[in-house]
Amino acid sequence: MSYIKHSDFTFQAIVEATPNAIILVNKEGRIAYANNQTEKLFRYSKTELINQLVEILIPRRFHQHHPDFRTVFFASPETRTMGSGRELFAIRKDKSEFPVEVGLNPLVTADHTMVLVSIIDITTRKRAEERFRLVVESAPNAMILANAEGVITLINKQTEQLFGYARTELVGSKLEVLIPERFRGGHPEHRSHFFSSPSVRSMGVGRELFAVRKDGSEFPVEIGLNPIETDEGNVVLASIIDITERKRHEMFLALERKNKELEHFNYIASHDLQEPLRTVSNYIQILEEDFADQFNEEARHHLRIIDRATKRMSILVRSLLEYSRLGREQKLVSVNCKVLVNNVISDLNGLIQVTKARIEVEELPLINGYEIELRQLFQNLIINAIKFRRKQVNPEIKVGYKRNNENFEFYIMDNGIGIASRHFERIFHIFQRLNNRHEYDGYGIGLANCKKIVEIHGGKIWVESVLGAGSTFKFTISNFQI
Amino acid sequence: MNNRVECIMLIDDNKDDNFFHERVIKKSNAADTVITKQSGQDAINYLKTLNGSHHTYPNLIFLDINMPGMNGWEFIDEFKKLDEQVQTAMVVVMLTTSENPDDQALAKTTGVLADFKTKPLTKAMLEDVLEKYHK
Repeated sequence: MSYIKHSDFTFQAIVEATPNAIILVNKEGRIAYANNQTEKLFRYSKTELINQLVEILIPRRFHQHHPDFRTVFFASPETRTMGSGRELFAIRKDKSEFPVEVGLNPLVTADHTMVLVSIIDITTRKRAEERFRLVVESAPNAMILANAEGVITLINKQTEQLFGYARTELVGSKLEVLIPERFRGGHPEHRSHFFSSPSVRSMGVGRELFAVRKDGSEFPVEIGLNPIETDEGNVVLASIIDITERKRHEMFLALERKNKELEHFNYIASHDLQEPLRTVSNYIQILEEDFADQFNEEARHHLRIIDRATKRMSILVRSLLEYSRLGREQKLVSVNCKVLVNNVISDLNGLIQVTKARIEVEELPLINGYEIELRQLFQNLIINAIKFRRKQVNPEIKVGYKRNNENFEFYIMDNGIGIASRHFERIFHIFQRLNNRHEYDGYGIGLANCKKIVEIHGGKIWVESVLGAGSTFKFTISNFQI
Repeated sequence: MNNRVECIMLIDDNKDDNFFHERVIKKSNAADTVITKQSGQDAINYLKTLNGSHHTYPNLIFLDINMPGMNGWEFIDEFKKLDEQVQTAMVVVMLTTSENPDDQALAKTTGVLADFKTKPLTKAMLEDVLEKYHK
């Protein structure tokens, strides 16, 4: 007996010394024993607890199923934690509740089986978890918590928005669903590499990273990785930033820089090319004025050809400069296209009279654009429509538009000589000409200017044409907001 | 020419242009003498030596922009340091290949330049400038 007594005493001493609340519950669910920590935690005295049903410590809403759980436990008693996967709560004498973790240990003796229940108050841990969850939730970036197996355990609202998934769809899934298919294969290896020496770092240094939404669309991202040690092992908190806008802005800046360089180059080139040309012209003038009597008619003819070529080159060079300056430092203004086109037509009155051209202008919209450039655009296209007319056929020209969702689409239709389809692209390149200069004069600059003007209005220009029957030039202008 | 002046100065690093412009001035009978300088520095040095000498200041200066060493804009900076009386004795006109609107806009801000002309100098241009000069 002394042996048993000694053992009883030892058991009791151990139970009282543990920092957890420990109770002994019999098959009927009655409390057979409770330690001092139990008294402290639940604020009952031992005498109030002994022989009470264990449900006294469980909030009422869980009472219904508890006896069943208990029966199941006693049917195959083994050491385990209670209610795995569920959140457990306990209730104090004063009816206040708190979250708990409960361990169950069967005690099998000769006459009966009992269960030793150890109860840990996890209020603090839960609060810390909750705080962590709140921090993650309120972060401005999409944040994802994943374990070493790559299973997502927590996401925030930004993640839902960024990827288009509901929280329930992502939590429990593999991280790889957020990675474009072509990168998926390599990811588990990257992940195990990370977990083998976890450190705070950005992901994929030197590589461009992409993520994929639920709808399959991809976007560039920047990802920061933070390893966190938890009871359940190492996890990683990934912070994901959508850098689409930043990429776009970088591209825009690079393009702007390129444009500036090009413009500068054009300016320098046209200025420096202009100088020797002018000198040639000037000295031809001296020859003509001061030495005319020393040249015969043939020599004077050659001089005129040199002069004409020089002047032509001078115009080409100046066109290049003007081309490079199109749309620069202009302000977007509201432009009434109908008024603008009518002004162009009245300026071209002389040409229209001589060529017996008929120009029909339909209703045209009010748009926001660069006025001087738009005027040049319409003027060039109308002049072309008149200029490239068929012999013996009076030009018939129609100007109109239609409203698309995101832009205005204008057209200028003529009944002129038309353009072979193989030239549809070429005509918009600078200094490209299709026709013999003697038949149709020009510098190959008009349509190149038109293309650039349309482009600075966020649009496209193209031609639809049947050789010998006429052309329709079409262009779009973005619906700019001022 | 009715509105002719005593002296016109040409500042341009391009000798061929100076020759041609001098010829236009002489043919147009626009000035008694033409002084040509091939850099802004030469021109400024010359203007400084005139102080107190018996030579008179040029009535009109045609100034190029793009010149090695002291360019047209830098010449203007130096010109502004001359005595105010000396400055007002002369009219400075930009005469350049540049049709760059940026240069034209800048020219308006100097407070010194009376006009901005594109090369080559012609008789009509001279008449225009001299008419303004005499107003």
